[in-house]
Amino acid sequence: MSDTSSDTTKHLQLEIVPQRLLRPETAQALLNEILDLDGVVRLFVHGPRLPGTVPYGPAKGIPLVHDSRRLIEIEGKTVELMVSVGSIRLEVTDANVKEQVHEICEKILPFPFEFREGNFMLRRQTVSGYARFGPDQDPLMVGITDPKGKLKDQVCFIKDE
Amino acid sequence: MAYKPQYYPGATSVAANRRKHMSGDVEKLREISDDDLVMILGHRPPGSDYRSTHPPLAEMGEPECSIRQTVEPTPGAKAGDRVRYVQFVDSMYNGTSVPYFRSYNAAIKFRGVDPGTLSGRQVVEARERDMEEVAKFQIETEMFDPALSSLRGATVHGHSLRLQEDGVMFDMLDRARLESDGIVKMHKDQVGRPIDKKVELGKPMSPKEAAKRTTIYRVDNVAYRSDKEVLEWVHRVFDQRTKYGFKPE
Repeated sequence: MSDTSSDTTKHLQLEIVPQRLLRPETAQALLNEILDLDGVVRLFVHGPRLPGTVPYGPAKGIPLVHDSRRLIEIEGKTVELMVSVGSIRLEVTDANVKEQVHEICEKILPFPFEFREGNFMLRRQTVSGYARFGPDQDPLMVGITDPKGKLKDQVCFIKDE
Repeated sequence: MAYKPQYYPGATSVAANRRKHMSGDVEKLREISDDDLVMILGHRPPGSDYRSTHPPLAEMGEPECSIRQTVEPTPGAKAGDRVRYVQFVDSMYNGTSVPYFRSYNAAIKFRGVDPGTLSGRQVVEARERDMEEVAKFQIETEMFDPALSSLRGATVHGHSLRLQEDGVMFDMLDRARLESDGIVKMHKDQVGRPIDKKVELGKPMSPKEAAKRTTIYRVDNVAYRSDKEVLEWVHRVFDQRTKYGFKPE
């Protein structure tokens, strides 16, 4: 298997877990501030799913308009929020960026939050990822999508370069 | 001296609330009209007759039976109503009732009910009009907080998730919302079908009030281990159950 590790430079991985599930407005403000920083490599939001239709029960299939499932503007791009934002995991280049992210969280989040460093995203391909995407997968995409999921539904390219 | 049931041990506010829920001696906090209740339960259109599965008992000509003569049937059974359910979910962030205490309340205070207790939700099945009586009682009293409790027939998760920013328990189907006037309104029935009008459930309790009225022990409110009398009785029950179970012949 080729080396598709994204962390050849040993990026730091951070997790922000607010005490409450974020409103789309708060999530938008937080994500925009974080993505304005230079050293953010990749990021994903995590939380309970907000489906477009009722998934089961007697109302199965009825269109579902959840108050939190909205279009938000991230760095000038419109993104549909498909989860209620419960945590944000991101990869940054160094400890200086980590400090800046922490300051942004303190500024924007109106309630306490947990902020930790650790391993939250895959740093190299798994066997099933290799089987699905092959040896030439972009290292930035490793661990960002479910191997069985559709890429366009789960990943948004904010910066084109 | 007349016998007075001692429902639950303990000297803390949580233990006192548990006793209240079990005895049914709870404070009424809000009103919900019959039509609104029927609408959010979603089993029949408001104002319509109860559908039945058998003719009224009086017309059926029941067999000679001493038990049937002794036990008065509930109004729902008498009329031959269908069996229908109501299901509640309470947040673990100081929700008003834990599933067991909703069940105790239903089983002790009401007749002809079949309460089902699960880890994060609680269902009561009964003849339709009997079930509505239980649902009305539990919604109108301090057993229900519009923000931290919810009627959820399907897609029940939310009990163990963090609260939303506005302090309301997360609901994937978005059945109830805290509106700008500070009142929680349901705009879907308990399984997520849109309803004709918004049903007001009232103002949410403040975090302090919810902590005062909860039946959930939490280390950040009333810790379970701080209630010595409860612990003593739980130990006693477990001890005696174990000794009884270990019964060498």
